[in-house]
Amino acid sequence: MRPIDWIVLVASLVSIIAYGLYRSRGSNTVDRYLLAGRTMPWYAMALSIMATQASAITFISTTGQSYTDGMRFVQAYFGLPIAMIVICATVVPVFHRAKVYTAYEYLEQRFDGKTRTLASIIFLCQRGLSAGLTIYAPAIVLSIILGWPERLTTAIMGLTVVTYTVIGGIKAVTWSDVQQMGVIFLGLIAALVTCMVMLPNSVSVPDALYLAGAAGRLNAVTTNFSWNDRFNIWSGLIGSTFLFLSYFGCDQSQVQRYLTGRSISESRLSLLFNAVAKIPMQFFILFIGAMVFVFYLFVQPPVLFQHAELDRISTLSEFRPVEAEYNQAYERRRQAATALAAAHHAGDQSDEARQVAEYRAAQKDIDAVRARASKLVESTGGEQGFSDVNYIFLSFVTRYLPAGLVGLVIAVIFAATMSASSGEINSLATVTVVDLYKRYYRRDATDHHYLVASRWATLFWGAYAVAFAGWGKKLGSLIVAVNVVGSLFYGSLLGCFVLAFAFPRVRGTGAFWGMIAGEVVVFTVFFYGAVSYLWLTVIGCVVVIATALIVNTSRA
Amino acid sequence: MQDQDQVPDEAPPFLGTWPRIYVAILIYLCFIIVAFYLFTRAYR
Repeated sequence: MRPIDWIVLVASLVSIIAYGLYRSRGSNTVDRYLLAGRTMPWYAMALSIMATQASAITFISTTGQSYTDGMRFVQAYFGLPIAMIVICATVVPVFHRAKVYTAYEYLEQRFDGKTRTLASIIFLCQRGLSAGLTIYAPAIVLSIILGWPERLTTAIMGLTVVTYTVIGGIKAVTWSDVQQMGVIFLGLIAALVTCMVMLPNSVSVPDALYLAGAAGRLNAVTTNFSWNDRFNIWSGLIGSTFLFLSYFGCDQSQVQRYLTGRSISESRLSLLFNAVAKIPMQFFILFIGAMVFVFYLFVQPPVLFQHAELDRISTLSEFRPVEAEYNQAYERRRQAATALAAAHHAGDQSDEARQVAEYRAAQKDIDAVRARASKLVESTGGEQGFSDVNYIFLSFVTRYLPAGLVGLVIAVIFAATMSASSGEINSLATVTVVDLYKRYYRRDATDHHYLVASRWATLFWGAYAVAFAGWGKKLGSLIVAVNVVGSLFYGSLLGCFVLAFAFPRVRGTGAFWGMIAGEVVVFTVFFYGAVSYLWLTVIGCVVVIATALIVNTSRA
Repeated sequence: MQDQDQVPDEAPPFLGTWPRIYVAILIYLCFIIVAFYLFTRAYR
């Protein structure tokens, strides 16, 4: 980080927070503090929804994902437009007309108090666990890349988020999100343009696309079906529809974004904007990763992108043959890529087919050597299941981007973390005050009392998130940890809301016992390891509905 | 329930009705998938 990078980083963060606080003036009632007085325009909600969903690890991981595995991850978003349509047609008008602060408040109107409370507690458990990881995941990557202490990075992010969220409430969160998305888009475009500009003069943009495609990095759609394959068009259209239905329909961190809308129409537009914009945005981020791959065809990348572990194993004698083999494999791939581009230009199909085979074989060699280096990390005391995917993009940024742009991309990581984290903390505080404190402890206090309680709850959850971030270190793979935590609880919440909207005869007792049964089954399946965690949401949802129907029938 | 009737369901700013907007988004989704499929095939 050079001085200009620091200036860009600090200026970006200060302007984001200052703008958010400026726009949050007058948040002096509970309604304004938690729901912005239901006055937000659709575009602010739309960008806030996008920013809350896209945490820093999304940008770090996604680019690394396409570098190693191609662009097929984009298919995981094919269900998003379908889910958004269902939510706009069913959930949004019901929540708006019910004039609720939280999604779970509606469950008391539809079922009863105990169902609302149980759903609130499930949400607090799930989102509370995720809140720490949201801060910790990018903090550890930044710490290793930049050499900053983990605690310092976590503290900077946590304190910044807590400050503007406590002071400004949801208005500050939403308007900061708008700024943060601006910084994120700017940083990503700058990274892509720089990457393309830094390709060798002999490699044109069509050449770059051709070479990325020949290595399987532009595989945006894969149609083969397999239960073990997470990303294909079928799992994208079916599985992710359920995931996004639960995320945008039952998770208060998202529901609260569109409850701030001044009308049903504005809330719908904000969700539909995401339905339209999210897939191209993910495509764009993945495309950056593919272009970083092409860049490293002509500039030798490190054996591993996680420099701390690479430095550690570099001192070991077992690493020397791995390194020598890697240097050879890289040179072979570079020559194959150059020869392939030349054969493609010449139009000689038989030579081109031969060069493609050589290029792919060289790529396999590189992958095999990198896998051996990863095993060496594990076998010499490093993290089990070690992967450097999350470090690829930031390693490229800090090594090759010009002064100023490094600061901007680091600001993107901070901005994405803050936007996701502030949304979580704000929604946790809202559920704590509205669904528990006001519901059970102080039903008839003044508006000012609840406003103060909301600020304290925000402060509590912010401090909790920062404190819990230290625990994330013990969870192994962070992105998997985040997904597992969500999968343990989303099924029950989704099942309960499906009952509320699609099964008018089901009463509160059925829904309540359905959720209990759902959680018991999900945790049992999880601990006995019978199926992949990706199926837990579906299992939980089905158990909730089945149990509720049985209980309802027996009581009738 | 009286409150619930007081929030009107406004028409969208374009295409006249919400179901038409939803259909347009589904068509857009199909278009995106086909475009990505062709992109994949072109550079496979």
